[in-house]
Amino acid sequence: MINGERNGVPALQVKNLTKTYANGVVALNDVSLEIPAGRFFGLLGPNGAGKTTLINSIVGLARPDSGEVKVFGRDAHRDYRYARRMIGVSAQEVNLDKFLTVEEVLLYHAGYFGVPRDKARERAEELLDRFALQEKRRQRVNTLSGGMKRRVLFAQALMHDPEILFLDEPTAGVDIELRYRLWGYIRELNRGGLTILLTTHYLEEAEELCEEVAIISGGEIAARGANGELKERYGARTLEEVYLKVVGNDLVR
Amino acid sequence: MTLFDRPFRTLLSREILRFTRVWMQTIVPSLLTSLLYVIVFGLALGSRIREVNGVPYLEFILPGIAMMTLITGAYMNSSWSVFDAKRERYIDEVLISPMSDFQITLAYTLGGTLRGIIVGAGVLVLGAPFAGVEVAHPLLLLFAGLCVSFTFAALGVLVGVLATRIEHISFLMNVILQPLTFLGGVFYSVEMLPEALRVGTLFNPIFHMVDATRYATLQVSDLVPYPTFAAVFFLALAAFGAAWWVVSRSKRLRY
Ligand SMILES: Nc1ncnc2c1ncn2[C@@H]1O[C@H](COP(=O)(O)OP(=O)(O)OP(=O)(O)O)[C@@H](O)[C@H]1O
Ligand SMILES: [Mg+2]
Repeated sequence: MINGERNGVPALQVKNLTKTYANGVVALNDVSLEIPAGRFFGLLGPNGAGKTTLINSIVGLARPDSGEVKVFGRDAHRDYRYARRMIGVSAQEVNLDKFLTVEEVLLYHAGYFGVPRDKARERAEELLDRFALQEKRRQRVNTLSGGMKRRVLFAQALMHDPEILFLDEPTAGVDIELRYRLWGYIRELNRGGLTILLTTHYLEEAEELCEEVAIISGGEIAARGANGELKERYGARTLEEVYLKVVGNDLVR
Repeated sequence: MTLFDRPFRTLLSREILRFTRVWMQTIVPSLLTSLLYVIVFGLALGSRIREVNGVPYLEFILPGIAMMTLITGAYMNSSWSVFDAKRERYIDEVLISPMSDFQITLAYTLGGTLRGIIVGAGVLVLGAPFAGVEVAHPLLLLFAGLCVSFTFAALGVLVGVLATRIEHISFLMNVILQPLTFLGGVFYSVEMLPEALRVGTLFNPIFHMVDATRYATLQVSDLVPYPTFAAVFFLALAAFGAAWWVVSRSKRLRY
């Protein structure tokens, strides 16, 4: 229904984004990217390629030098209240409010994003169930194990029912069971219309989940396309081969 | 209505929960320390000094001590809260929420303001039986207390954003705020100082705050009262403006 209303407007449009950090590192160099609504999109690339910087530039945590970001056709900077409500972020590094319990983390997050209280409670119940966090709900988040914190982080990102979900290496350091559970869940969310941008270093994960990927290297998009299309273009059997060809070439050059 | 929308109210309530949940660490120690001041300075020295500006010594110093406690409480709350949130990056969640930078600054500042007001009022209430103070102008006192607490809570936000190490926060407290407070006429009237020091004191913003509070409580002051209240109000605005500017511009939050 959402896609219909928006008449094919892409969920995310990034145009000519450049970001130089204060220390002179050019983390993004003229990056342009468009992600259609409802797409499961993978963002791959070696350490330091600029994946997290790209996500942060979209949500306003990093300040790009130049370029434009549009969320469902609306400028993410000028219309920031709208854009930020649309996006949920599960950050690469766990950044939970250590003062709060699991349940409070979820409820406060919903509040920050303007979700009415009743709705937030309902949603929290649902997500606590989903991520098997019911037993931990009254526990302070800083007393949880690393994988448990990750679960809270996903649940938090979903609390305000975003239309676009950024998952920055969500499966780093989680056990196999949670990984499969998470895969199943995000796939289900994607089928329901959620646009997902996933960064990962596990190429089989990208192969398994993503319809389309972009490979970023040295702050530039080195390749992008539907999985099958890329394999064909690079004469590769797997996404991993494509990746190695693209990134490897870059290393040689 | 957008200023006080749900996101803003949520952050503010988080800021309040932060210190009320651990009130044994945030409220009680401030009150005990201040009571010590009241007892040591008031009762011990008071028997010798008797009166300042026609007011019994203990009564004279009580508003200043309350103000000192309020300043510390307000500053500590917001500086620590912002610094912690920034250090562990859970402030990101707030920064990517639909709140404006103005709202974010205001919520952190008001959280600190409330803690300042609570401990400041606590000192007055607890000290009053010893000193026998009756507040002359309660509304003026509330106004001055709010302005001062707001000022230092805003300053705390600013420091919390800019600080890269814990020591920066305590440095400002111990090396700048506390001396300025002691030299701000908490324990004496500027009338008692030599000319040079008296003029110097006029440049100490905390002196004006203490004087305003003393006037509101005891109707005794070193300065002409109403311009002082105006000055205290403008200081609050200026401090908030600076905090807002830092929150929206600093690379320590959005890099
Ligand atoms: N706050 C910062 N200040 C300065 N440089 C930074 C900062 N954050 C990132 N960088 C640099 O920007 C480049 C891109 O970093 P980024 O975190 O976006 O990479 P990434 O693709 O997410 O890597 P990873 O796979 O390791 O998470 C790197 O060279 C990194 O060192
Ligand atoms: Mg990263």
